[in-house]
Amino acid sequence: MNTKISILIIEDEKNICDFIAAALISQGYRAFKSYSGTDGISQITSRCPDVLLLDLGLPDMDGMNIIEEVRKWSSMPIIVISARTQENEKVLALDAGADDYITKPFGTSELLARVRTAVRHLSAANGQGAQSHIFEAHGLVIDFDRRRIFVHEQEVHLTQVEYKIVSMLAKNSGRVITYDALISHVWGPYADDNNRILRVNMANIRRKLEQNPAQPEYIFTEIGIGYRMIDAD
Amino acid sequence: MTTPKFLSGKFKRLSTDTVLHDILVSIALFAFGTVLCVLMRITTQNILNASFIYLMIVVTIARFTTGYLYGILASVIGIICINCFFTYPYMRINFTLDGYPLAFLSMLVISSITSATTTNLKAQTKIRIEQEKQLAMAEKEKMRANLLRSISHDLRTPLTGIIGASNLYLENGSQLNEQEKKTLICNIQEDANWLLNMVENLLSVTRINASNAKVTKSLEPVEEVLSEAVQRLKKRLPDAQINVRIPDEFLMLPMDAVLIEQVIINLLENAVVHAKSTRPIDCYITYDDASVSFHIRDYGVGISEEKLPVIFDGTGAAPTGNSDSSRGMGIGLSICKTIIAAHDGTITARNIPSPENESDQRRLAPFHRYSAVPEKPSSLRGAEFCFTLPREEQDTVQTEEKK
Repeated sequence: MNTKISILIIEDEKNICDFIAAALISQGYRAFKSYSGTDGISQITSRCPDVLLLDLGLPDMDGMNIIEEVRKWSSMPIIVISARTQENEKVLALDAGADDYITKPFGTSELLARVRTAVRHLSAANGQGAQSHIFEAHGLVIDFDRRRIFVHEQEVHLTQVEYKIVSMLAKNSGRVITYDALISHVWGPYADDNNRILRVNMANIRRKLEQNPAQPEYIFTEIGIGYRMIDAD
Repeated sequence: MTTPKFLSGKFKRLSTDTVLHDILVSIALFAFGTVLCVLMRITTQNILNASFIYLMIVVTIARFTTGYLYGILASVIGIICINCFFTYPYMRINFTLDGYPLAFLSMLVISSITSATTTNLKAQTKIRIEQEKQLAMAEKEKMRANLLRSISHDLRTPLTGIIGASNLYLENGSQLNEQEKKTLICNIQEDANWLLNMVENLLSVTRINASNAKVTKSLEPVEEVLSEAVQRLKKRLPDAQINVRIPDEFLMLPMDAVLIEQVIINLLENAVVHAKSTRPIDCYITYDDASVSFHIRDYGVGISEEKLPVIFDGTGAAPTGNSDSSRGMGIGLSICKTIIAAHDGTITARNIPSPENESDQRRLAPFHRYSAVPEKPSSLRGAEFCFTLPREEQDTVQTEEKK
């Protein structure tokens, strides 16, 4: 018996909160609303939601504090709701432990896709549903066991570094991965801060994987933040 | 000696530097004069000129220093020097010399007059600069007011639509059929999206440093910025037909990516909405060693000749005064110009075909092997917007231009 997945929304704008809750409920989730940071924290501890949707700009406290607070005891997926122009804020939130972000204003389809991704990674982390050995999306197939990649049944040969980047993105498909996270995963924690080498590798990956690298199908750029692989089929 | 008023006032913080400068200038000039006198005494034995040389030096010092102090000090020391070194008996100060008080007095007067004139002149220059600054400020203020006015006008139109449509839906919802309801909601969404785009444009301007009109640049790959911009536009205008091509070579360019993205989106949207293009809009890159150019080329009706020279001015009030002005890209295009100017770049618009010009001398970026090669785009009518960004920081580019 599958219990409903519960989602807590911490957002001070009532209109936005209501519309998010309505969208989630229509998709069969349980949604709780909270309009302030302090109330949000008490609801997190009392209800233990499966997923947290968090607006960073709260009237009574900085949303970053909530992320830090929650990360002390829980690995529940946190999706940050943030305005477009504040890349720094997004990167900071992701570094502090947020799983993903969604940019205001957003449509319901985008919101639901993010939530679905979070829920999927949640169940994978909890060991429910075996960790997939194969990633598949829109004709892109990655076989993690044999380290092989196919695009529309054509095998594509990547270098060691390129494969590391692609596989990390694929294992976190649908989720944004920051430049720093990718760099330390591929080149180790003491790698140069400069992300140029990552950008060059990404350009090469795109030329190998995408039909038209100018209109990518699989790996999207989030300017100033990182990369996002398309969600698996 | 009292320091002149303007020195003691708001320019006080400069005074340490000024004083140091003045002292150095005075000492240097004085030393120069003295050396000249000594040389003259050695070579010509004529010491009559000494007083004239010192007079010259005193005038020069008074001219190039601030206030009366240095000129007067120079005349006093000058007189003493002349008395001591260059008049008989040498190496002895003799105040009883004939005409000595007169010489002293004349030097003093001349130095004072020169100092006064200089001080006056400097004060006047300061006042003039202040006035010019105020004029520029007023001009800026006027521009801001104009911008605000046109923004408010532009914002009111879609808001009227949103309020009207939602009102109608709430009050007369029961009398509308499903199709009509859907149209209303679609209109609301369209207007809201347009508003969002406008607000993002305005927000982007706030990223430009107000004091020096510059942006914080970082190296970004051209292809990522271009493709992300197209992606975002397609999200909003899913029917837009855009053909993007990127060069095979990996190019990185110093820029504020969010702002350049906004420019590309504005130019693409302008082409999609206004050009009535008959085929997909072409979006491509050309580059050479010094700069990279982004081209947005449509195959539509072109830009009217009256609009062309003022298209980036943001007046919006095109002489033709077409009914579409509420959705005009006036502000969008003027923001493009602001952003590109803050990047030390250039932006141009032209009709095609146009007289063959310099742009053809630049080598076209080789098209990516997967992308379709355009079928002689230059032979078709339309318009092209193009903006160019330097690949290096501005100072290096400038030195290259000087060569």
